[in-house]
Amino acid sequence: MTRHRNLGLVAAGATLLAAAPLSAIFEHWTWLIESAIAVGVVAGAAALARALRAPLWGQVLGMLAGLTLALTWLFPAGSEILAVLPTPATFAHFSELLGGSVRDMRSYGVEVPDTPPLLFITVLGVGAVAVVVDLLTVGLRRPALAGLPMLAIYSVPVAVYVDNVPPVPFVIGAVGYLWLLGADNVDRVRRFGRRFTGDGRDVDVWEASPLAAAGRRLAVLGVAVAVLLPLVPVPGMNGSLLDSLSSGNGSGNGTGRPGQGGAPGKIDLFAALSGQLNESEVADLVKVTTNEPSPFYLRFGVADELKSSGFEVTNPTGRPVTRDLPNPTVRDVGGVERRQYEATVEVTRDLDMPLLPVYSEPIRTEDLNSSWLYDDDRQIVFSNRENSRGKRYSFDYVRSTYSPAALRAARKLPADHPLVRRQQTKTPPVPQVTELVNRLVQGKATEYDKVRAIYDYFSSDNGFSYQLRTEGGTSGEDIVDFLTNKVGFCQQYAAAMGWLVRAAGIPARVAFGFTSGSNRNGNTYTLTNRNLHAWTEVYFDGIGWVPFDATPAYGVPGSTRSTWAPDTDAPDPLPDQPGAPNTGTDPEESPGAVGSEREDQDTDAGLALGEETPTEQAPVWPWWAAGSLLLLLVLALPALRRLALRRRRGRRAPAAVAATEPDVGVGPAAGRRMVVVGADADQARADAHAVWDELLDTLVDYRVPVDRTETPRATADRLIGGVLSGHAESVDAMRLLGRAEERARYARDPLTGEPLAPALRAVRGTLAAAAGRRTRLLAAVLPPSVLQRWRLTVADASGRMVAVTGQARHRLLRWNPRRLLADRAAR
Amino acid sequence: MTQQTWDEVGGLLPHDEFRAASEAIVANIEQVIEGKTATVRLALAVLLAEGHLLIEDVPGVGKTKLAKALARSIDCSVRRIQFTPDLLPSDVTGVSVYNQETHDFEFRPGAVFANLVVGDEINRASPKTQSALLECMEERQVTVDGVTYQLQTPFMVIATQNPIEMEGTYPLPEAQRDRFTARIAMGYPDVGAELAMLDGHGATDPLDQLRPVSDAATVRRLIATVRQVHVADAVKQYAIDLVTATREAPDLRLGASPRATLQLLRTARAVAALEGRDYVLPDDLQALAVPVLAHRIIPTADAQLARRTTDAIVSDLVHRLPLPNDRKRSPYDTRPAGGNGRGPYEPRRP
Ligand SMILES: Nc1ncnc2c1ncn2[C@@H]1O[C@H](COP(=O)(O)OP(=O)(O)O)[C@@H](O)[C@H]1O
Ligand SMILES: [Mg+2]
Repeated sequence: MTRHRNLGLVAAGATLLAAAPLSAIFEHWTWLIESAIAVGVVAGAAALARALRAPLWGQVLGMLAGLTLALTWLFPAGSEILAVLPTPATFAHFSELLGGSVRDMRSYGVEVPDTPPLLFITVLGVGAVAVVVDLLTVGLRRPALAGLPMLAIYSVPVAVYVDNVPPVPFVIGAVGYLWLLGADNVDRVRRFGRRFTGDGRDVDVWEASPLAAAGRRLAVLGVAVAVLLPLVPVPGMNGSLLDSLSSGNGSGNGTGRPGQGGAPGKIDLFAALSGQLNESEVADLVKVTTNEPSPFYLRFGVADELKSSGFEVTNPTGRPVTRDLPNPTVRDVGGVERRQYEATVEVTRDLDMPLLPVYSEPIRTEDLNSSWLYDDDRQIVFSNRENSRGKRYSFDYVRSTYSPAALRAARKLPADHPLVRRQQTKTPPVPQVTELVNRLVQGKATEYDKVRAIYDYFSSDNGFSYQLRTEGGTSGEDIVDFLTNKVGFCQQYAAAMGWLVRAAGIPARVAFGFTSGSNRNGNTYTLTNRNLHAWTEVYFDGIGWVPFDATPAYGVPGSTRSTWAPDTDAPDPLPDQPGAPNTGTDPEESPGAVGSEREDQDTDAGLALGEETPTEQAPVWPWWAAGSLLLLLVLALPALRRLALRRRRGRRAPAAVAATEPDVGVGPAAGRRMVVVGADADQARADAHAVWDELLDTLVDYRVPVDRTETPRATADRLIGGVLSGHAESVDAMRLLGRAEERARYARDPLTGEPLAPALRAVRGTLAAAAGRRTRLLAAVLPPSVLQRWRLTVADASGRMVAVTGQARHRLLRWNPRRLLADRAAR
Repeated sequence: MTQQTWDEVGGLLPHDEFRAASEAIVANIEQVIEGKTATVRLALAVLLAEGHLLIEDVPGVGKTKLAKALARSIDCSVRRIQFTPDLLPSDVTGVSVYNQETHDFEFRPGAVFANLVVGDEINRASPKTQSALLECMEERQVTVDGVTYQLQTPFMVIATQNPIEMEGTYPLPEAQRDRFTARIAMGYPDVGAELAMLDGHGATDPLDQLRPVSDAATVRRLIATVRQVHVADAVKQYAIDLVTATREAPDLRLGASPRATLQLLRTARAVAALEGRDYVLPDDLQALAVPVLAHRIIPTADAQLARRTTDAIVSDLVHRLPLPNDRKRSPYDTRPAGGNGRGPYEPRRP
């Protein structure tokens, strides 16, 4: 009983250690205290049930009851009897909490605050794992299996942090698992009594014994492999641990983070953008969760002043975001659809600027103080005091989608329009540009058609292609260069289009932000420096600023196109990318937006130069399929091994050999008569052994005890008197098998000419019929004979290792200075 | 008197003749001793293994009867010594007497100069007299006054004795016990056998009608045949494992001697041959372990206090000792490799 109590306590402790990975999810430690209470109550209930000598199911019921009591006490509905006895209202409250937890999981990003629903589901989960671990460890004595529920806890942070799994909590959990295995091993050794050394000294239970050390070493090796494996980058799995580790190193110098420090108006967003896009390391900058099915780009900056040196950022002005922000739904225009969504943004510590990424157009914010201001013309959130580093905030926003017809209806801006007055159409004179624009807009009646003509011009049909490694300038010369070379990346496309549209007399500016990226998990997008982007916004009278992204979609991971600015390079209709995961574009929910999102790709020089077709990313599913296949194969390995063994042994024992059974004789004459050709005798001997081995394995598989002290004759007799009794054919067969093995082992001449294989089949059939269905299933799927042998092989190997290290230690101890001195003193 | 030396045992017997000869002896003895087939066969096996037999049991269970029946079934020289407290060593071995006519010492052979020597109630004689048997039993020779006389083949001592707890007995010295190949107990006959005994022996003693069915020459050929029985290496290893186990057992103060190993294998050969096999099985050794080993070993004081008989200790060892497998390491072997692979102290599987 004490023994069980100890093991039960270890199981509880190990469960708590295994829950360590949850610390990466919660903001505070309340969950740990409450989980510890639940686990403690479960362990106590288990100990009590065992003290009352309850059967296994009784122990499980006891633990579940304990868990219920603990949950009732921790999450009361108010109507409990004595604070711990649940009433129907309690369970109603529980289901409410469960529902709430689903909602909270969706609405909170990590690290989550201590909301009752999230705490409830956590305590419930950890408590359930405690029940299962206790059942497996103490009840069923299968502590190795307890690793599975423990692993289940670890999978939670893995699911949340898709590509950045915290390793330390895993190690803590693994230590808990090792503790459990070690305690169980000690317990097993102890059941034989106390351990002594040769001279009668008591051996400490934790002192390495070959038995326990083998398990420990194995477990340590396993954990080491588990920790190291994710470090090895697997192709097709982007964002392995190694990536994030190395990018963590690189983020220290912080070169070219967008607008690091400084005032919001004094940032060269272009320089920052090209710097970031060219950064070889990938760092997570923003994590955004939105309930919009396929959101357009996350936006943080605008360059709206065009000088001959290019687009420049101007000083924003605004009002605190804590006040109500202008709601675009009031400017109701036919053909413009506006829907309200909410989003939560979490900025990592790597993004440091006086601007906050938001979806346009935000109408209400949360968790932001009044030092953050909103410029409703530029539609950016900025601050003159704070910066974005580590910020986490939510906002409601209105997404507008425009039908081309509505845009077509927009008239030319009147000359007294504030934007015109603010010189948003002002363009430095560049003859080539003017000439090109005139050619493009010639004959276009509406503003939208003009813009589309310019937009469409940047298509691959006109020789435009994407290349990141180009000079990123936006000055007049640079623009001319770009229009001539037709090779560039987002900021050149954005600036060039803005310039051309302005040259056509329509207000335009360059917007900066993030595409939706390629790392999507549910409604959450994790955006990196590679997802930084620039695009063009054009002002339509009575409608507002409308985004156009002229950059070739294949060069931009997470590029999103719309009905008013479709992908000029894509043939109509847009084909599905085979294999590329569709990140959930839902055309019904967002009729205006057509998603075309791509995997992150290293957009290097050779990739897009002169290439018309977007490069296809290797699909991910084969890796999953291969992984599952490998898993299946590993699981099937024992059965396959067993089959191979049986086949090999079967081949050794041909059904019948035409030969006479030699007389069993004592005399030398008989002996001489029995002398057969050596090879035949050896063969017959090997056959008998093979058949006997197969029989023993079959016995092990069907859970018939095998006794090493038994002779073949005794084994045969035991089976004949036991399982086989009443099956005349099997009895004869068994007798034959026993005799054959006995002769093969001990006689001068083995038995020859007897059909051993059919005999084995007969015995096997009877054994199988006598075994239970479960035993038969196990024998077929995970044959115990093979597993046992493998386990013994491993135990042997580690036993040898222990012996070798022991010897080495002994030899080293000889050079122990204390011992050397003692020797000298004695002399 | 034809003096046959140790190795002149005669020609081998073919299988059928061996069987017939041995079965005849067993059947003959069974006319007298009811319901003790196993004991009778074991006694014959000891004879064929060129060993000596000690029959130990309580009085009146047919010990003397068995010894005499065996002796009488074989047509050879038989001598009987009734061991009494006043028996002298010279009565056993013989004595040199001064011949007045020849004026020389003349050797008068003692009781041991025969093929079969029946020593009844051997533990009633003084240790001094018992010791007179030491040389002849092991070396099949007698040395009197510096002159060595060879004994005949076959030579077998069949001794009977009461358990030492009985009154008026001197325990046999270890050296003497070690010279007996096997100690067998008669045991009470079962109900049917006892009934048969009453019917058959009520009026007359069937021993009187017993005729020899074999002779010394045939027995020599039987012995020669037994010597040819094959013993596989694995079986030899098992025999060694077995005696080693008695030497290492914590319950035992004295384990089995190498002589015990030798005699164990010899008896196993005889048993195998009697069963019609020309090879020894570990099963034979297992069956013989108690009769051949149990009387030679000495339990520790603790084991004696715990009233553990040597029989129980030996059969316990047999049950714990794994079979040697010279083919390969058995997958069911849970002992760590490289350790003492013959540790017998594992719990037997249920
Ligand atoms: N199993 C038996 N079969 C036949 N007779 C027996 C048996 N056991 C004992 N007897 C009879 O018991 C009597 C005593 O036998 P005996 O050999 O003198 O005993 P002890 O063991 O004292 O030497 C004999 O007459 C013998 O016939
Ligand atoms: Mg008597």
